[in-house]
Parts: sequence; C-alpha cells; structure tokens
Amino acid sequence: MSAVSAASLCSPPRTVRTVPFFAPELSWIAPMNKLALSRRTMLRGVAATGLATVGLPVLEAMLSRTGEAFADGTTPPKRYGVFFWGNGYGWSGRGHADTWTPTGSPSAWTPSEQLAPLAQNTSRVPSVSVITGLEPKTEIPASPGGQGDGHMRGVTNALSADRPRPAGFYHPDHIFALSRPTLDQVIARHPMFVGAMPTRFRSLELSVSNNRFHDYGSWTCISYNGEESQNLPIRSVDALFQHLFGVPVMGSREPGDRVSVLDAVRADAARLRTRLGAADRMRLDAHLEHIGEIQRNLRASAPMCTSPMRPTRAGGFDPDPSNEPLEDKLMAMMQLLAVALQCDLTRVFSMMFTAPGSQTIFRAVGAPSGLHQMCHENRQDIAKSTAIYTMRCFKRVLDLFANTMDIGGRSLLDNMVMLATSEFSAGDQHVVEEFPVLLAGGGGGTLRGGVHYRQAGGNLARVHLTILRALGLPYASYGFNGAETSEPIAEVLV
Amino acid sequence: MSCQGRIGELGTRPSPTPTADGAVADSASDVFDPSLPAYAPGELTFPRLTNTQYRNATVDLFGPGLAPVELEADTNPFLFTTIGASRATLSARGVQQYERAALSLTETVFADSARRQALLGCTPTAVTDACVRTFFERFGRQAFRRPLDTEELDRFVSVARATTNAGDVWTGLRYAVATILQSPSFLYRVELGEEVGGRRKYTSYEMASRLAFTLWASLPDQALLDAAGRNALSTDDQVRVEAERMMRSPRARAGVRSFFVQYLGLSALDNLSRDVADFPRISATMGASMRQEIELLVEDMIFTQDTDFRQLFSARQTFVNSELAGLYGIPYPAGASGFVRVALPESSQRGGLLTTGAILSLTSHQNASSPTARGRFVVERLRCEPVPDPPGNIQFDLAQPTSGPRLTLRERLARHRANPACAACHEITDPLGLGFENFDALGALRTTEEGAAIDASGVIDGTPFVGARALSAALANDPRVARCLIRQTWRYAQGRLDAEGEQRGLIQLTQRFGEQGYRFKLLLVDLVSSEGFRFAAPPTP
Repeated sequence: MSAVSAASLCSPPRTVRTVPFFAPELSWIAPMNKLALSRRTMLRGVAATGLATVGLPVLEAMLSRTGEAFADGTTPPKRYGVFFWGNGYGWSGRGHADTWTPTGSPSAWTPSEQLAPLAQNTSRVPSVSVITGLEPKTEIPASPGGQGDGHMRGVTNALSADRPRPAGFYHPDHIFALSRPTLDQVIARHPMFVGAMPTRFRSLELSVSNNRFHDYGSWTCISYNGEESQNLPIRSVDALFQHLFGVPVMGSREPGDRVSVLDAVRADAARLRTRLGAADRMRLDAHLEHIGEIQRNLRASAPMCTSPMRPTRAGGFDPDPSNEPLEDKLMAMMQLLAVALQCDLTRVFSMMFTAPGSQTIFRAVGAPSGLHQMCHENRQDIAKSTAIYTMRCFKRVLDLFANTMDIGGRSLLDNMVMLATSEFSAGDQHVVEEFPVLLAGGGGGTLRGGVHYRQAGGNLARVHLTILRALGLPYASYGFNGAETSEPIAEVLV
Repeated sequence: MSCQGRIGELGTRPSPTPTADGAVADSASDVFDPSLPAYAPGELTFPRLTNTQYRNATVDLFGPGLAPVELEADTNPFLFTTIGASRATLSARGVQQYERAALSLTETVFADSARRQALLGCTPTAVTDACVRTFFERFGRQAFRRPLDTEELDRFVSVARATTNAGDVWTGLRYAVATILQSPSFLYRVELGEEVGGRRKYTSYEMASRLAFTLWASLPDQALLDAAGRNALSTDDQVRVEAERMMRSPRARAGVRSFFVQYLGLSALDNLSRDVADFPRISATMGASMRQEIELLVEDMIFTQDTDFRQLFSARQTFVNSELAGLYGIPYPAGASGFVRVALPESSQRGGLLTTGAILSLTSHQNASSPTARGRFVVERLRCEPVPDPPGNIQFDLAQPTSGPRLTLRERLARHRANPACAACHEITDPLGLGFENFDALGALRTTEEGAAIDASGVIDGTPFVGARALSAALANDPRVARCLIRQTWRYAQGRLDAEGEQRGLIQLTQRFGEQGYRFKLLLVDLVSSEGFRFAAPPTP
C-alpha cells in the first residue's frame, strides 16, 4: 500500500496497538519506602555523635520527635524538578472542544479529559495545581525573521522567561539558542538554594525519547547555563546509573590520585588561559570550574547511598526509535532519580520526556507517525490522546515521589516544587496562548496544591516567579524583554 | 505570517577582483567583481575536539581495540560539529565524561602488559628513569601537537611520582597519561597563531594540527610533526606538499567521511523510524545500512576512482548489503556477505546520490514522501540557496478530499500551491521534488499511487524533466552545486561560517576546482594551503 493514504492522514489510526498504558512493572524495584541515608545526614550525624560510621539507631536519633526535622532543627532541603514534554496538548477551537482547561471553581474544580489522569488516586499525593490562560510576553524583534515561531519562542519562554537570543537566530535551519540560564540552573546556582554544602551534582538532566526534531542545540536540551552552554540530558538508563552510582571505592588511593591528576590539568590550563580571547576564556573557565567540582566531590566523603540494582528490561530501554518503550524508560530513570534525591546527591533535575518539536511516535495511543507531523496534519485526536498518555506518565512520576520517604518523614514530593510544561499549546499552528502549566509538590510547605488558577492572557513568567518564591528565593520580579513581572501567583502559594 | 526571504543571497556571488594586498591576485580572472569586499581573514577559533576527532586521536595514541568511551554529544549548528565545537561550552557532565574516559582508556592500556610496553618502548623501574621522560616527550608531542616545555615535562613526571603506588611505576604512568588526556592542550585545538602585520599567522605546529584534524579528523603523524619541527609548514607550497602526502594516506578517508556524514546529515539515520505496517522493509539496522552506502559511494568516487566529483550524481553503480538490495529491488549476489558493489541496470530509475535510500528517507516524512523536503534539499543543501521556512501556523493542507475520487500527492500539492501565501516558496521546491515521486518515504521504488501511475515529471530552472536521474544529470552540471560544496567544505574545515572577507578566496577555490576536473582530493589540498586557512584575524581581547 502506498505511503500516503486517507488512513494515515485523516481517519482514526488503523494500526492501534494494544500497548497497556501501565506496562508491567520493571524487573527491579528499589524499595523506595526505605530511607537511604544522605551524605549530609551522615555528616550531621558525625558532627552530632562523633562517630565515623553511622548505623540506623543514629539515624533515628537525628530525627526530631515529630520526625519532620533534623535534630539540629533544620528542615529537609527543597527540590526543584521539571517535567517537559514536546509539542503541546490536544487543542481546542478550530472545530474542537476544550478538553484541557478544568471546569468549576478554583479550589473545587473538575479535571478535564486530558488532565483526568492527574486526579486518579491522590490520597497520598499533594494535588497538582493547574494554571491556564498564560502566554509568553516577550517582545519579538523584527529581524532576523521567524523569532515569533511558537516552537522557539514557546520553549525559551517556558524555560527561561525570555525570548530566543536574536544574535545567531536563523529560522530556515531552526537554529536558535537561549540567552540566559534556564530556571533550573538559576535555582541550582543560587547561593541560598545551594547552601553551605553543595550536593554532588548541581543538577541532573535526563531525557526519555530519542526522537528529535533536529540533532542540534536547543532541540535536544532543556537546561542551559547561558549562551552556548547546555546541560545535555543523559539519554540512557545505564549512563544514568553509572553517573549516579559509579563512585570510587572509599578508602582506596583512587580519589587522591584523581585529585592530583586534576591539579596538574588545572596548572596546564593556567598559562593557556591568558592567551585566549574573552569569549573562549569564558569557555575554558567553565571547563576548569567543572574540574574543581569533580575535585571537591573527590575530597568530600562519599554519599551514604544504597545503590539500587542496575535497571534492566527485556530488549533494552532503547530498542527501536520507531517503537520506544517510553514509559518503562521514564520510570527506570525516575526510580534512579528518586534514590539520588533521597540521598541528596542532587536537588535539581529536569526530565525531557520528549524533545521540543517532538517527533516521538506514540505507539501507545496508536499514532502512526511523529507527534509534530501528526499535529500539522491536524490530528487533534492524536495530540489529545498523547497528552492524556503523557499526563498518566507524569502522574506515575508524582506517585513515585509521593511514595518515596524523604529525610524528616515526609515524602520527596512534599519537599519538592515540580513544573510540568511544554513549548506551546496547539501544535497544529504553534499557538503559544493557553500555555500548559502544572505545578506539583508541596514545596516544603509553600505550595497549596489542588488549585486551578486561570488568567486569560496572563504573563507566563509569573510561573517562574511563583516557583522562585516557593523555593524561598527572594526575587522581587522575574522575566525579561517584555516578560517582566513582579506578581507571583499567590493563589497557589501557601 | 507568510513566506518571506531572499532567494539567492548565498552562493550566487560573482567572482572577486584582485585585492589591494594581492591576496588572490595570482589567479584573478576577468570575471572578478569589484563590488565584493576586500579580502580579510576570518576570526580565530578555539574548538574542542569533536567526538570523532577525540576517538580517532585516542586510536592514534594507543592503537585500536579499546572500548568506546562516552563523551558529551557534539552539537552541529549549520550542519557541522566542527562549528559546534568552536562555540559550545562543555557542561559539568561533559567534563566528568572526559575524566572518566581518560581513566578508563588508561586503565585498559596500562593493565595490558604488552600494550603498555609498546606504548613506553621500555620497562621503567622508577619514575626517574630516563625513558620515562623520553616517553612523555614523544607521547606529549603527539597528543599536544607540539613539543612540551620543561615545565610541562616536570609536571607530568611529578604526577607520575605522586600517584605511583607501592613502587608500581605503571600506576603513576597511567595517571600521568590520564593527565595529558584531560589537558586543554589535548582537548582543545590551541591554534592561536603569531602576530604578523595585524593578522595571526598559524605556526608550523599549529598548521600540522589544522591539517591533521581537517584532512584526517585526527592527530598529526610523526612526519607531519617533523615537518613542523623544521618550520616547513610556513608557506602555501610547503603546506601543499604535506597535504598532498596526507591525501594519499588511508587516513584521509576518515576526514572525508566525517565531512560528508555531516554535510548530508547522515547521523539522523541513526534514529530512522517508520511504521512497519506501511514500510515492511524498515529494520533496526536499515538506517545504518543506508549511511554506509553513502560512505562507500563517496570514498569510492574520491579515493578509488579519484574522479570528477559530479559523478556522484549520476553513478551507475552503488554498494548494497542484503537489506538495501531488497529495498532497491536488485539481486544480491549469492554467497556474498556485507556490502558489495553492484551495477545498476540502465533501465533502473535509480542512480547517484539523490536516489539512495539515505537521501530519500532523510527528505521524507515518517509516513509519506515529501516533494517539498526533497526539493528543499536540492535548493538549500546542494545549491546553498535558502528556502524561506514555512510559517509556524502551517497547516498541511494535503488531506484527501472528503468526497469524490482520491487524489495523488502531486494533485494535492497542486491545490496547495494554488494558495498564493504558500506558492511563493513551494514554487521553488515542489517542481524539483516531484521528480522523486516514484520513490516512497523509505526510498523504495513505487509505480502507482492511489491507483494512478506515478507522474515523476518536474521542472528545473524552467526546463521540464522526468525522474530523478534527469534531475541529477542537470544538477551535476549546475555550477551552483560545486560552489556550494566548496562553501560547506570551508565551513567544515574552519569550524565557523564563511565570512564576507573570505568570499574572494572561495571563488578562487571554485575556479580551481573546475580547472582540475572537480576532484575533491585536489580541492582539499587547495583549501588547506590557501591563505584563508593559514591566517586568521586576532581574537577579541
């Protein structure tokens, strides 16, 4: 049969595969309700007890009687996370009903069809807040052309509350970049967030789908340190496992030897540095800064973290770009991440479930082709069922964090602020109005949860300011180049 | 938003006139256009090694057979990882990966007594042995592409001393080598030049590095470093002599392959995805097979045949493995394995680069061929003429009508082009791309669509044609294609976009390319010995 047919363009998919939404459990499950002890906790224990090794009784001794704070009165750390999916949701208008926006009052709303998965089984989960009606407010320079394109403008606004960098923007090849750090890195580098003792990893970047709209740059990454400085996601489960748990054996010579090596590398770089132009010197300086971070981790004590088993899946996690086991891979990565968060290896993460301009083929909902193309073929039905599937996946992540005990007796999710968003709303016309925004987690007692806040035509950057406030970072305003705002969304804050 | 943009703003420049400083005067001809900006060298870059260059370099340093290491992915703005490598800042994880790579490579090498013996060329008993210092001199010179100074040698010896465990000197040497592998002098291309008359002239050692990474995608060999040591890479003639030698080396294949993989975007084939219901020949290995066919075709044309580059468009033979033979519907020789050279019958509609599964798939949607994308590939990629991007609110108005007879894609595209907002751009692309309509979205031949015989007619530059072979023949003779190839090769070699002040040099290269029978090897030799490759503008302080 020919490649182009009515079936593949217009009518309901004919190759509906019976892939369950919730795949069978993976072949390993780390016991997430057990508390893995963090390096920080251990050091507190050492300081408090003078012991070099820490056993369980000491752990209990470190908790206050209410189990909600350390014995020294401090509170558990807050975490920030991003769940990003590409290419929007099932749009309304142009002949389609609104199945995204909740109905009812702000505090007693009814989930929409696409958001329904989030309302399932919320007994232990702080409810998600849904924010609707917002949109990017950044100015669009006239030249070079194309800077208003919803993909580029939407993703940079959603991640950095700014527009794409005009310099070097080249729409015909979709080349764009951000001009400032994304919110996750603003948070991860903020001294008040980092505190006195940085975590082993400043942040973790992960991605599930390997299908990308383009191979380069901003189409493969949602975390930036600044111009031309990306934090590319870890794309393989094995690589994530190795990154988190492949630490040297303590007590061996290895950490000290590696520190010596890196000292020599820095000495080698010192003379070169002075010969470079300003821009290249900054690139080298960033490299050297990261070497310093490795050394700091080598000098610090290893985290007392119970390494889970290496996740496995029959056929692997990346068997075939035409048929990706998205949900299995997501959950394998997030289970490893949950251990990392529990152990305080990091406090900031971003999960790019699918890339901007997602070309992922959602077999689970019967999509014959990549989402970006499906949307341009006006397949709202596929966009909608993909959004429902994505929300179910996101809910599984929230449930995992809700069922993972954190230091102090509450769940990880209680101490977390999590933003779930995409690059725009409607993929058929790259519409950036009615931006999808979900705020999850308790924020360590700062997020109300369960609110539907709506401001038609409101400023999307308000979400960023709200997140900063929820994390206790005293920003008076946020947003850039027309998106400036000093109004957090008070309705979702405690 | 409607279609906008200027057509022909790239790649259609007239030739330059001789410049005031005489930079390109020696081959100036009467077609030079005085309106072109005066010759000026492009900016200095400070690229880190691309992953391909890193991997090839470690093979040069340690020999083959080491397990691959994981590195931060390159980015490829404007097609080339060499451009990304000049711009991108490494992430924290990227630096961690470099450390892990250095430790894992050296662990493997130094755990193997034969390999470490071969590497050192001696059996040291202490770090103070003379042979240790000799080793650092030799190994460091290759890794850094220049001799080490005393301070550096002392530093590596002292790392070895500090990390030697219980008298096991091999441990210390391992860590010293891991230091070299993590030094910016290895990981970045330190080609900063010397001030000469307001410009930077690359030193002979820096030229050795530039030649090796461009032509071999790897480190210089001993002979090239020796030439640098004699300061014999200082004039265009000297560089030409070495470049000609390098292009005769089997290692030149890696450099050429690296260029074409990036120019043609072949790495996207790693994620080739199709619905198996529509495309039963799709497999997990099909993308890799398609990519290898192109690599073999290009290498055959450039190295084995050393012939006119333009034959790439009209070749009557190709290389297939069994799954590609199946896709192409040609017999796969009994008893053969892997890739074999096959002749394409004269009656076949297939022939040349544009009818390979790779290019046909890369210019298709996942579920349908795209005459628009295929036409755009011809205009943008092969002619370096930009096609304005579709507006963001594009609607693929290509659905079958809800009533009446079903239409072919050609018929539906015609309706599409009737919309004036779309026609401006689609008139550029579609008349070219429709010539490929007898190949589906995976590159298989098809003769009918919706029950109608395929019409593969098109129009190129106002002239009607039928089928991809006719289109390819026209492109082979299109001067824009050769000019574009040179522009892209320049960008690859320089790791940046071509600058205004370099256009005269590019035109000169284009003329030489034609005069020398369009042989790509000679083009590369001309390019790397040209003034624009040997000089640069100083960096912004």
